[in-house]
Amino acid sequence: MTSPNLIKLVIAALIGIALGLTYGWVIDPIEYTDIPPNILRDDYRADYVLMVAEAYQSDADAETAARRLAVLGSESPALITTSTLEYANANGFTQDEITALQNLLTAMQTYQPQGINNP
Amino acid sequence: MSRLNLRSQTLQLILALLIGLGLGLVYSWFLSPVTYVDANPAILRADFKDQYRVVIAASYESTHDLARARARLELLGDVDPVGELSAQAQRMLGAGEPFDKVRPLAQLATDLNQGFASIPTPTPFTALNTPQGGFTISATETQTEEAAVIEATPTPFPTILFEQTPITPSVAETNTPRPTFTPNPEPGAPFALVGQDTVCAPASQPGLLQFTLMDSRRREIAGIEIIVTWNQGEDSFFTGFKPELGNGYADFIMQADTVYSIRIVGGETFIPNIIAPACTDPNGVEYLGGLLLTFQQP
Repeated sequence: MTSPNLIKLVIAALIGIALGLTYGWVIDPIEYTDIPPNILRDDYRADYVLMVAEAYQSDADAETAARRLAVLGSESPALITTSTLEYANANGFTQDEITALQNLLTAMQTYQPQGINNP
Repeated sequence: MSRLNLRSQTLQLILALLIGLGLGLVYSWFLSPVTYVDANPAILRADFKDQYRVVIAASYESTHDLARARARLELLGDVDPVGELSAQAQRMLGAGEPFDKVRPLAQLATDLNQGFASIPTPTPFTALNTPQGGFTISATETQTEEAAVIEATPTPFPTILFEQTPITPSVAETNTPRPTFTPNPEPGAPFALVGQDTVCAPASQPGLLQFTLMDSRRREIAGIEIIVTWNQGEDSFFTGFKPELGNGYADFIMQADTVYSIRIVGGETFIPNIIAPACTDPNGVEYLGGLLLTFQQP
């Protein structure tokens, strides 16, 4: 095979790769339908934590609140609440909402999962 | 010879293009697919959606902000959010979850169905921080809910947009929530059987025993436990889990030739000797009919 022919083949292959990537990334990318909550967008994630905080205002059940926050990832419930509180302060949440988040944060900072103290 | 050569070269080029295409697809679909880092709740896995609904209902139980709860449910992308709530409540009951855990779901479904919060909002939250799900709640959609908990004024309600980026509310909620309608049962008040109607409809479920429970002002009430006993067993269930049929509605399937006793928990109402009636269709064929029992608090 001559050199010009080889170059043509390489160019054709590169065009094919470019077409394949365009199709696979842009035109028909893989769609996820059964995702876990830890990749929720920041505002959805903050709203979820706010809901947990609002529920905690009513039931004062730290165990349930921690369990609900645990679905958001491997970070500690206190860390999740802290980052949400920062988001809330930066994005104009109402004072009631921030108070609810602060109460939840206090609860999560002092929360000890059941069983740790009772081996 | 040269024509053959040209054809061969063309085939080689097409083959190289196809190989490249295949490599590109393999890379973009399998080796390095598009990854989602900013997903929305609509594509959550089903069990996480259930968890999301539980948290929405728990939050609603605290805030009684029906418009916001509705907006949050819309984020899940369910075709029938109220139906999904009811279905989940029934699934949880069926799985043996305690009623206390299920009740917020049923209450939210009931309130969404009736269009207003059962309990007045203690602190009016604005809905501006709930992320957008590609929809807008307008004054006309929320007016019924607002009217139930907030005294009506001649000023039209503002349209509330759900912004993706939370912003400071431009419209201050100044209305004072007023206690108005509370369809929860009066504690301990007994229910009286005020109606017992035979239902003969060949198309309906044979032996369907339907309940409607109302308060003293004839408004249907959810969350009342009913216990049905017969000589071989017992079953208990709650009103309000089929809000599309009424907040105070519940039902049970009776078998032929079985005598049932019914107890309404709380008021200790007891109705013995309930039997599925026999009905006859226009051709003279007998079939098992149903009963509709209506209870009301005095």
